[in-house]
Order: sequence, then structure tokens, then C-alpha cells
Amino acid sequence: MAKPTSYFPELKRDWWLKHSYFKKYMAREATVLPLVFFVACLLAGLYSLLQGMESWQGWLQFMQHPMVIALNALAFIASLFHAWTFFQLFPRVMPLRVAGRTLPPNLMVLGQWLGVVAVMVLATWIFLRGL
Amino acid sequence: MTIKQISIQRYLPEQGSAPYWQEFDVPFDDSTSILDALNYVKEELDGSLSYRWSCRMAICGSCGVMVNNTPKLGCNSFLREYQGPVKIAPLAHFPVEKDLIIDMTLFLDHLAAVQPYLINDSGEGSDTFKQTPAQMEKYKQFSGCINCGLCYSACPQFGLNPEFLGPAALTLAHRYNLDSRDQGKKQRMPQMNREEGVWSCTFVGFCSEVCPKNVDPAAAVNQGKVESAKDMLIGIFKS
Amino acid sequence: MQERHIDIVIVGGGGAGLRAAIAAAESARKENREQRIVMLSKVYPMRSHTVAAEGGAAAVTSAEDSLQAHFDDTVAGGDWLAEQGVVDYFIRHAHQELVQMERWGCPWSRKSDGSVQVRRFGGMKTARTWFAADKTGFHMLHTLFQTSLKYPEIERLDEYFVLDIAVADGTVAGVMVLEIATGELTLLRAKSVILATGGAGRLFRFNTNAGIVTGDGMAMAFRHGVALRDMEFVQYHPTGLPGSGVLITEACRGEGGILVNKNGYRYLQDYGLGPETPLGQPQNKYMELGPRDKLSQAFWQEQQAGRTGKFGDSDVVYLDLRHLGKEYLHERLPFICELANVFINVDPVKEPIPIRPAVHYTMGGIETDAHCETRIKGLYAAGECASVGLHGANRLGSNSLSELLVFGRLAGEQASQRVPTVPFTNSRDLKEQAQAQKTRITQLYDAEGEESWVELKRELVLSMETGCGIYREAKGMQATLEKIHELQARYRNIRLQDKSRAYNTELMQCLELGYSLDIAEATCLGALERKESRGAHKRLDDGLQQRDDANYLKHSQVFFNAEGPARLCWQEVDTHLSAPAERAYGDAGKGVKQ
Repeated sequence: MAKPTSYFPELKRDWWLKHSYFKKYMAREATVLPLVFFVACLLAGLYSLLQGMESWQGWLQFMQHPMVIALNALAFIASLFHAWTFFQLFPRVMPLRVAGRTLPPNLMVLGQWLGVVAVMVLATWIFLRGL
Repeated sequence: MTIKQISIQRYLPEQGSAPYWQEFDVPFDDSTSILDALNYVKEELDGSLSYRWSCRMAICGSCGVMVNNTPKLGCNSFLREYQGPVKIAPLAHFPVEKDLIIDMTLFLDHLAAVQPYLINDSGEGSDTFKQTPAQMEKYKQFSGCINCGLCYSACPQFGLNPEFLGPAALTLAHRYNLDSRDQGKKQRMPQMNREEGVWSCTFVGFCSEVCPKNVDPAAAVNQGKVESAKDMLIGIFKS
Repeated sequence: MQERHIDIVIVGGGGAGLRAAIAAAESARKENREQRIVMLSKVYPMRSHTVAAEGGAAAVTSAEDSLQAHFDDTVAGGDWLAEQGVVDYFIRHAHQELVQMERWGCPWSRKSDGSVQVRRFGGMKTARTWFAADKTGFHMLHTLFQTSLKYPEIERLDEYFVLDIAVADGTVAGVMVLEIATGELTLLRAKSVILATGGAGRLFRFNTNAGIVTGDGMAMAFRHGVALRDMEFVQYHPTGLPGSGVLITEACRGEGGILVNKNGYRYLQDYGLGPETPLGQPQNKYMELGPRDKLSQAFWQEQQAGRTGKFGDSDVVYLDLRHLGKEYLHERLPFICELANVFINVDPVKEPIPIRPAVHYTMGGIETDAHCETRIKGLYAAGECASVGLHGANRLGSNSLSELLVFGRLAGEQASQRVPTVPFTNSRDLKEQAQAQKTRITQLYDAEGEESWVELKRELVLSMETGCGIYREAKGMQATLEKIHELQARYRNIRLQDKSRAYNTELMQCLELGYSLDIAEATCLGALERKESRGAHKRLDDGLQQRDDANYLKHSQVFFNAEGPARLCWQEVDTHLSAPAERAYGDAGKGVKQ
């Protein structure tokens, strides 16, 4: 007798809707969308700066639109969310060893957040000095 | 003892039927595992129910099933953990042979593909290699895999492309690469560098979540990416 | 029926089977000889029960230790029923085998200088047990399995069930196998066949064993006239979890765990194992580090005296590990912590673990000579299924993992050396034997009987537990033997619910039950006829409570009888290196040569 046929359930396109873990994963991956918008805004700003005053003013006005502010705020939150997931994963991918012992993951996560705070403080300082 | 209804996905190829769900009433208490429930069904209600099991102590890796869409070992998951319905299906992403029995061939082929054994050309010796506890610590966690296959059922990338070597095989490769006694990394890297090697992983991370032995395959695979990147960079500079 | 020619067929993919396969492959490579090896198993190799061994593997390692000491411990531990020439071979080869495992990658636990660490084990004079945390069997099995992947000449047939050995003129001719995935039968003709099918702990209701440990190989050899030897010696492990029987390793006590009764009293001092050793200072061969038979027997006595506690329906005593501390427990005994947490919701760091004895190991098995060959030429046996004569009346913990390496290798080499010296057995009879198996399976499918394997099995394991437990008496054993005969008769009237061919796990259960019934008969008969107390065989009958060397310093041999009840003979024991002496532990063992 030949081997009876086996049944192979195919993964459908909506596979990620079947489990809450996969939804969270997709949320993490989806953070790229508002970030793309933010980068596009940034590039458009640079371009309009080259085009002259009028163009630049136009860009500034566009950036003040509530929708645009909301989307950029979303991008900011998304980037923080992504950083949070990334920081969690980092100690597992690059475990650091000091004197033969693996550094506690929590310590590494904390270190990364301290880095974020440092960057923000630096950026704020530069920004405020410019004013 | 209270009674709980469980649903089991049946598939009987010789009767030519498509998979279907069947309900069974199972008595349970605090100590009743999913495996106990399956054994109860087989012994008391329906002798034709087929599934794999052996050690019933979470070390042989036989009894993996999906419980409510999450891969679990039947022996160390308990009915008490489920308030609502309990739906038991064969492990996802594998061909189903009968009821809860899946075809493990591909899994075993992937394991064998990474040369999961110590490669060291010093030959037979009458003494052990030296390995300090700190050296062992580097790979110890990754040597705990029981080959149950739960991580493959948790991995959508394997589900989408069965050619992906997958969490367990890549973890095993990494385990040997990290072993201070091993000299076989060079032979294993070409497998890991492939598209179907470490680079198919998108760090969903569910594999580590479901691993019953806390092996953390996601960590191993992604450490493997770092190694693979280094290996490929070195390759570019060498050529 | 399909037919294939293979040089060596290995039945069983656990530690012994894998070690044999690798040894056979190496052996042919050394001689530049091509050799076809098939290793088949009813499960995937890494599911084999070797995987569940926890504590470790023994070999003389440290400078203070000596081969003589390991020899003496093993012979005394087996109450002088071990074959001493075999023990001598074993202790001389164990170390090299453990070294070989290390060189294949086994992650043995280490000392800070990078050398291998050893731990204490029951009945051993010195710490000589190599371990990989408390998952030694798991790491050994996976190391062997993974190493076997290096040898393309080892063909694996995973999930193939052996129905019978083919024998012609007292020589092995192959095996008849059933592919579980399809139900198809094949005759594998072979020059050498190695049985590495494990023990038969599932004959008993309460046991530490995996569901697959049903003694299939033993029964097959038995039915072909090979004696089952010393089957009455069934090891109760003193520490199994109540309810499930899940094993809690002896290493817990090796690391310093203590056993107390419901009053918190370390009762072992009342059973010739004292005086009490201070907490945290375990001493070899004292108290908790006595041998398994004595500890299980002490539990029974405490139970009779009403000093055991209750956990669910089970009478229990308590294994206290708390003084070892969280960090040490998680390093040395992580699996035990996990098992206690998952299965009985007890955290060993904070609470004592309730435990009770459970059937663990079959000391007896398929009789072989010192080279693992049975009385059928070309048929070898190794590991728990075999009775090569290492363990005598009681096995010491951590001798069996070393055993499956030492004798797995020996069996593999012997089987390989036989291959170039003999032709394939050519007998017309083979086709008939194969056909007989086909008929047997067809009849099982077609049978319209009334009995179900479930009920028969339940009655068997209960009866074995009642009649052939830790303590035994003639009346109980006689009743069990009669029960077995009744069950054998009822087995002929069995009926399958599942009539499908593919993955018919019910068919497997029925076949396994058939095997179990035969082995149960041998076990019970041996127990009934051994009218003395020795090692794990403890009798309550008047006048039989002591060892009786004058009459029973002998192996029991049980022979199959297709026409009626099995019959029993006695065989001399090899005691040429160490004359039987008193077996004593604790202070009583001081000065006694052992």
C-alpha cells in the first residue's frame, strides 16, 4: 500500500490575525509606515529649502497642518515603540559578557534607554541654543 | 472530577475525509494534562484517535500539538489552564499524516543539513578536552533542544517557506559553533549564510515564546545573523 | 512482501542502539569494508527512553578512586548475583566510553579548571558519576543521535515496529518489520541483529518509564527460545513523583538532599544505613546514599508503620533539598525544579518534594554471553533489554548509562565482525516466517473478539504491582501468575477498534501488550521460584526473608513454552573474583570488604 496522502494546510494571507502574538509582531513591523512619512517630510523640507523662500514657506505651512502634526507625532511614538521592542531583543542577540558572566538583560535595556535620553537632551540643547 | 469538553481535529486519510472537528467529554482535575485527556479519549471513547507520546515528562519531545492555536507539549500543558474551549490540532506548518500526527521528515532533514555534531580533527583520544564552565555557559542554553518542533509551528517564516532551515536546526548549528571544542564553523556557515538559512528569520520571536525548554532559538538564530554577516564581510575582503 | 538484504539490523534507537550503530560503522571503516547498517525504532531515536535518565554515568575517574572499588561496589550492590567477569570488563571500559562521549560533544558538567566534574551516587564508595546537570540521559542521547548523522552508512528507519526476529537453524536471519506510517510489512534479512529495545517498566502501574518501555525485544527473543534471565529483579526507584511517577533523580541525594517521613525524621537510620549524616554533608554509602533497593524497602516499612504522609491518593515521604539553596539547585538540578513545579506545583527551593518509590529498571533481560551474543547465533542484545550480567539483583544508579555505552559498543563491534565471516542465511522457512507475521496482523485486524487492550493492560499492571511489588509473598505472586495466564487467554480474544493501516497506534498497543504479557509471566515465575530475599527481590514469607546462597546463588532462566506455562531453570553465577559476603551499608558496612 502506498503512503496515504497527507494533508498540508497552507498558510493564508491573514495568518497574522490568528494569534495575538503575531498581531503584536505586525504592529512592530508596521512602525515603518509613519516613519516613512516622517522621512518623506524631512526630504521634502530639504528639497524646498533648495527651491527658495516661497517653497520653504509652503513646506512650513504644510508641516503645521494638524493631520501632518498628528502623523509625525505617531511616527515619534512608533519610533519609541520600535526602540522599546528592539532594546528588549538586543541583549539576546548581542549578549555582553563581563568576567565570564552574561550581563543581566535588564541592565542592557536600561543602558540603551539612557542612550536615548542622552541623545534627546543633546538635541534639545542644540535646538535651544540655536534659538 | 468535573467534565470538560475538548475538540480534537481529526484527519483520517484512508476514509478520504477532509479534516474535521470532533468533540469529547473528558473528566479532569488539577493534574490532568492535555496528554492525559488524549489518552482518556483513546482508551475510553475512541480507540482510533492517533497521536504521538512517550515520556510524559517533557523531555522526549513527542507530544507537540496546537492548543487553541498555540504550539504546546501535551504532557506539560494542563486542562486547568483553559477556562474556555480547548481546541487541539496537529502542529502547524507540517504535513498532517493522521489526526494529530505530523510528518517530521523535513524537520529532521533540516537538522541533519547543519552538520549538528562536534567537528574536531584531533581524532580519537584517551582524554577529554578541557572546557571551563564559562566556555560551556556560552552554548549550554542552546544545547537544551528536545526536537519537539514547537518552534517550527510558531514560525510563520517556516510556514510560508518550508525550505527555511528553521529555529531548531539553526540553534543547533549555533550551539556547535559556540562550543570551544568545535572546529566546524567554517563548514556550517555556508548553510547558515543561505537565504533559507538565518536570513529568512524576521525575528518574530514566537519560537522562543513557545519553547518548552527555554532554549531561546530566536536569540540563537539572530546571533547567527551576526556571525553570518561577519563571515560574509570577511569573505568579501578575502576575495 | 518486500524483502531487503542488510548486513546489520539494530532494533532500537536509544543509547545502546545508537552506540552500537556507530561502533559497527567505525569497525567496518577501520577494515575498509562496506557495510549496510539499518537502525530501526518504533519512535524517532531522540524519543527513546534514554532521554529521561537524569543523574549520570559512572566510571572510575578521580585519583582516589580505583577500578577495584567500582568492581566491589557493583558486585556488592548486586548482592553477588552479577557475572564478575562481565563487571570486570565493564569497569575497565566505562571511563574510555565517557571520554569518547565528551569528544563527541556531550556537555558534561565541569570543574573550574575545565576538567570533568563527578558527583556522588547511591551505593558507590566514591564520587565517580559523570553528569550533565540533571539531564545526563538527554544530553547523551542527543549527542549520540547527532553524532550518528556523520555516518551515511547508518540507514535509519524511524517509526518501524518490529514484529518478530527471523531465525533459521539457531542462527538469526533478519527481522520482520511493520512501517507504522503505512502498515506495510518488510522482511529485512540480516547477518547480525542487535536488540537494543530497553526495559519493561510499563509492566507495572506505577513507574518512572516512558510509554514505549514495554519490553518488545525481550519478548521476541524469549519466543525464539532465548532465556530471560533474572527477570524477578525489578528496581523500584525510591523517588518518583506521586500521581504520575515522574522520576526525581538520585542525584538530588548525591548533592545532599535528605529523606524524611511525615514527622520530619530521617528514617533511613533505622534501616541499617545510619548513623545520620549531618545536613549538607552527604557521605557515600550512608543514609540517603544507600542503594535503591534498600531505600525503597525502607519506604514500604515506614508505610506499614503509618509514618508516611499523604499527597492526593498517594502515601509519600519527603525529599528535602531546601538547604542546598536556590542558586545551587538551579545549577545542578534545574530539571528537577522544573518537574516538581510543573507536575505537583512544589518549588523544591521552598518546600520538600513529596515522593514515593516507582518501578524504574529491569535488571534482568535477554540472556547473553559476555560478548553480548545470545544463544541464537548472530543475535545480540545490549542495554536494559539484555542480561549480560552486570547488575545482578540490584543495579547501582549511574551504572546503566555507562552500560549502554560499553556494551552497545561491544555489541556493535561483535555484530560487525560477524558480517564478513558468514553468508546470508538461506532458508525457505524464512518466507513462511514472514508470511506467519502477515497472517498474525491480518487476524488481529479481522478478529471479532470482545476484549479490549485497555482493560487487559489495566488488569495486568495492577496485578503486577500487587503481586510483584517491593515486598512479595507466595500467595500474591501465585495470584498474579494465574491472572497473567488468564489475561494471556483473553488476549487471544482481543478486538481492534481502529481498522486503518496508517499510524494504527491501537495496533501497536495491542502488539506491545502481547509482548508485555509474556515478559510478565517470566518476571512473576522467576519471583515465585526464587525462595529467598536478595537485592530488589524481597520476600515476606517465613524463612525466605534472608539471602540463601546455598540454594539460590544462581541466575534464574525462564524459557518460553508455546504450548503452556513458561518453565524455569537455574544457572551458576560467575563469582571467581569476589566470594559472596555480607552486604552492608552505613556504619555496618565499615570494615566489610566492599
